[in-house]
Amino acid sequence: MKDELLKKLSACVEFGKTNKAALYPPQMKGEDGADEITSQLLDVGVGAQEILTEGLMPGMEKVGIKFRENKIFVPQVLMSAKAMGMSMVHLKPFFTSGAAKQKGTFIIGTVQGDLHDIGKNLVAMMVEGSGYKVIDLGTDCLAEKYIAAIKENPGAAVGLSALLTTTMVNMEQITKDIKAVFPETLVTIGGAPVNDDFCLKIGADNYSADPQGVVDFLNTKIA
Amino acid sequence: MSNKKSMTSRERVLAAINHQTPDRIPVDLGATPSSGISAIAYSNLVNHIGNTELPVQIYDVVQQLAQPDRTILDRFSVDVLDIGRTFNEKPTDWEPTILANGAPAFYPKWFKPVKREDGSYVTFDDDGETMLSRMPVGATFFDQTYFPYVDGYPDSYENLDAEMGRIMWARDAHSPWDHAGEDRFWEQLRERTLRLRETTDKALLVVCGCNLFEWGTFLRRMDNFLMDLLCDPANVERLLDELLKRHLATLEKVCNAVGDLVDIIRFGDDLGMTSGPFMDADTYRLLFKPRHKILCDYVKEHSQMHTFIHSCGSISSLMPDLIEAGIEIFNPIQTNAWQMEPEFLKKEFGKDCTFWGGGIETAGVLNVETPEKVREQVLERLETFSNGGGFVFNTVHNILPDVPPQNIVAMFDAIQEFNNR
Ligand code: B12
Repeated sequence: MKDELLKKLSACVEFGKTNKAALYPPQMKGEDGADEITSQLLDVGVGAQEILTEGLMPGMEKVGIKFRENKIFVPQVLMSAKAMGMSMVHLKPFFTSGAAKQKGTFIIGTVQGDLHDIGKNLVAMMVEGSGYKVIDLGTDCLAEKYIAAIKENPGAAVGLSALLTTTMVNMEQITKDIKAVFPETLVTIGGAPVNDDFCLKIGADNYSADPQGVVDFLNTKIA
Repeated sequence: MSNKKSMTSRERVLAAINHQTPDRIPVDLGATPSSGISAIAYSNLVNHIGNTELPVQIYDVVQQLAQPDRTILDRFSVDVLDIGRTFNEKPTDWEPTILANGAPAFYPKWFKPVKREDGSYVTFDDDGETMLSRMPVGATFFDQTYFPYVDGYPDSYENLDAEMGRIMWARDAHSPWDHAGEDRFWEQLRERTLRLRETTDKALLVVCGCNLFEWGTFLRRMDNFLMDLLCDPANVERLLDELLKRHLATLEKVCNAVGDLVDIIRFGDDLGMTSGPFMDADTYRLLFKPRHKILCDYVKEHSQMHTFIHSCGSISSLMPDLIEAGIEIFNPIQTNAWQMEPEFLKKEFGKDCTFWGGGIETAGVLNVETPEKVREQVLERLETFSNGGGFVFNTVHNILPDVPPQNIVAMFDAIQEFNNR
């Protein structure tokens, strides 16, 4: 029963099935979605922790891999994230109370002057779906904003996103400012114009081309 | 030296589109809002080449793009003009402003953003309260802040025109559309285009968005609309049909006014990102292709204009369908995106369409490399793309503020060098 439900939850995340009423995806029409299945799992006494690691995470991992391989596209990923969000609503209270634990905290924002947020949002969703608490600072973020968030969340890792060659340069200053206050804080960067060389040059700790990459990085460094 | 008969600019562009080898490489700079130059880069350019007397006129205020002066276009042998430039042609149509780098520039006199204490700029609706767009400090672009259908689709589209009018892309549109509400606009557009046609042998282009996917994202916000494609296709189609009605009404007027004078009509719809297209080909085929086809068919039946689409990113997986729908010209050819390598594109689609762009990487080469590296890439790209026509030189998307003027000059010099081979 429990394993069956966890498997179903995982499929809901993989295919973007939010709740029973949702018409998407067509092949799951009429079936329970992430919303109902999470309730059922909690009802039969499965803990939030286990729901996260055995239900949501395996689903999200498949999404990450298929997206990386261009087998699915942004709309599908967003639907998966929405399904995951439906489930997280039920689980949040357990994480807030400390009854269940996430792997760590990830702070993410698009840097100053840059307003592109689709990629940043996808990264935020995937990281959350991999078991982390995510604090999304939005777009056009100054160094102070990241620093304030780190103060409130000691030990968190920070992700910077930039989609423009004219704003990626702001990553350098922001990384320096963060490291000046919190030398231990891990800074990971991403976005279309950024690469490994640039990461090295500005003294950031990691560059990933896609969300799966940053999840791998976090899993080895802070989990 | 080539011994080909020399062509006029217009003949050159048309030859390329018709897949005949032109006498030299046709070139665009600034004929569309995705093949242009940002005000800051343009200001640096005119200073660098000693044309300091030329005003920096920000004709596209949303994207902060300059309208290059005819002197500059001639100096760099540019072959095509946007007919929008026939409006706002008097100095009194412009008002001074200051660019983020401190240089002087001009806005069309109707554009009055409010400067905030933190240095950002915002625009408001007529009520003075609803914020419509915002340009943060350090940005070179206004960002839409008002999304009318963010909470869901309306039951009736009675208010669609009004809501579209509140979206910054329509409200703060570049010329000629900033005059579209005026009496006799369509007659004016024809008269001015006729005059332009008489005074230039360059090809003429009209920008007429007819965006479908993008209007969905402007009205619903991008994340919502992307999900709607999957989970609410019925409402997507209902909205697209409303948009199509309006686009066809505009196209009818455009074709009547200038369809016999203008060579190229430019649509826009960003369908790609760097790592792949926004949607799979099935979704494009189902929702957008039939409607793109209706737009292209209309233009072909009612004018002499060639169809052009701007779409960023990786779109090679959608190109066969776009071509079938009737698109003849693609821009900006984002060659650093997935499956957008120049050789691959030329081989796969070179016979079926024209590449308008891809001439040099604006992100990674033009902005950071030496003039010599710029030269090398331009020569290499021309070698790949220019064979047998089907190519108009342009950078990959707009030249942003980070591009040094020396590199822009080196880029045009390299085209010259290639022509003289
Ligand atoms: C959509 C879009 C817009 C929308 C943004 C809407 C929004 N809410 O985000 C709008 C219309 C507002 C816009 C505006 C502009 N844009 Co734009 N835009 C795009 C477009 C088409 C897609 C970007 C996107 O959403 N991709 C989808 C996501 C999923 O991918 P992604 O962002 O790359 O993110 C992935 C990875 O990079 C990575 N990642 C991202 N962030 C992070 C962070 C971390 C920590 C990690 C590990 C990974 C990671 O993971 C993500 C998922 O795989 C691109 C084209 C392109 N090829 O990317 C141009 C593009 C980015 N834009 C460009 C330009 C030039 C502009 C403008 C300056 C326009 C102009 N004046 O010409 C303005 C600038 C606005 C501003 N100040 O920011 C250029 C940039 C060129 C350059 N030199 O850098 C591009 C590349 C287009 C092009 N062909 O040249 N744009």
